[in-house]
Amino acid sequence: MDIKVPDDLWEGDAEGVLTAWLFDTGAKVSEGAIVAEVMTDKVQYEVTAPTGGTLHISAELDALVRRGDVIGSIDAG
Amino acid sequence: MSEENATRKLTIARAMAEAIAQEMRVDERVFVMGEDIAALGGVFGNTRGLADEFGTTRIRDTPISETAFMGAATGAAMDGMRPVVELMFVDFMGVCFDAIYNCMAKNVYFSGGTFKVPVVLMTSTGGGYSDAGQHSQCLYGSFAHLPGMKVVSPSNAHDAKGLMTAAIRDDNPVVFMYHKGLQGMGWLGTEPAAIVPVPEESYTTPIGQASVVREGTDVTIVGLAMGVHHGLRAADQLAERGVSAEVLDLRSLVPLDREAILRSVAKTGRLIVVDEDYRSYGVTGEIIATVAEHDLGLLKANPQRVAYPDVPIPFSRPLEQYCLPNADKIVAAFDAMGG
Repeated sequence: MDIKVPDDLWEGDAEGVLTAWLFDTGAKVSEGAIVAEVMTDKVQYEVTAPTGGTLHISAELDALVRRGDVIGSIDAG
Repeated sequence: MSEENATRKLTIARAMAEAIAQEMRVDERVFVMGEDIAALGGVFGNTRGLADEFGTTRIRDTPISETAFMGAATGAAMDGMRPVVELMFVDFMGVCFDAIYNCMAKNVYFSGGTFKVPVVLMTSTGGGYSDAGQHSQCLYGSFAHLPGMKVVSPSNAHDAKGLMTAAIRDDNPVVFMYHKGLQGMGWLGTEPAAIVPVPEESYTTPIGQASVVREGTDVTIVGLAMGVHHGLRAADQLAERGVSAEVLDLRSLVPLDREAILRSVAKTGRLIVVDEDYRSYGVTGEIIATVAEHDLGLLKANPQRVAYPDVPIPFSRPLEQYCLPNADKIVAAFDAMGG
């Protein structure tokens, strides 16, 4: 399942910056765990795991992201 | 510990908040005050979530009067509380320094030990993001110079949590200086190496104990906070040339782990000190003097320092970047030592 920057995380079309991954690729995470932080306009937002499983990171630190962008995935297997 | 917890990483900001929360859960004397630390969670994120859990009696937003709340924190500590008080930018010390260095730092001594002053003064340091000369200083040396306060400054989230827990439990004033560029806040720059695995359970990192973060045999690079990361990048560059650099993270300035410095220099014979605080009368001079006083014979070359020049920090990005320490300057300092 994809990990997306939630569509309702902020208003407008502003770009955010991926400021932190709190787990490495391959880590086991549980549903709802905070896995990443995204910042825009000096406000930091949390991105949580949509399901439990093995994390795969696809967007690196400092990547520019918009709402709805896929930044990683979770293999529930 | 679950598998998830074993791999969980934190930013320094989150690590500080987690340490404070864990101490607040077990010690009702611990409380936090400062500007924008409650609803906002701190402009640097280090009190996020605390007001939700503990409420605004224990997580107290203050008016913009450092003079008043720094004095209040000192008084509360002498009255049996254990305040964690935030000075948002260390540059603001000017308006509240009487409360800090004449009261907080000295009241244990003046009272003959009758009063303890268990304050944690947490404050942000550092620049690099064009915030000019009143919001970008480090001032490590200014605090470390004055007796009566312990001074710590972490380079990564693991040490940040352990040092904050140790600071809160310490009966003395502890100045906890966190570098803005290491907080994991994007607008201040991102330093991935500061975001490291952090155990969920509570633990302490001893105040006054340095850490060898990279072992080497040819040169010792000593630094703290952001300086450690400059040192690690320089060590990578030097390794490509076959030079083995040891990087020592001081973690604490007071007490200073002089034995760790001497141990490393005894091994390598060469010393470079990195500091984002001003060059003169500061941390770099103290480290070099520590070695010189002990045994000049340890040194195979003149020690070098890579520090901020003795000028106000420019707003202009090119000018500020020109002044800041970086890995290239450390490598150049090594080359200046000769063979």
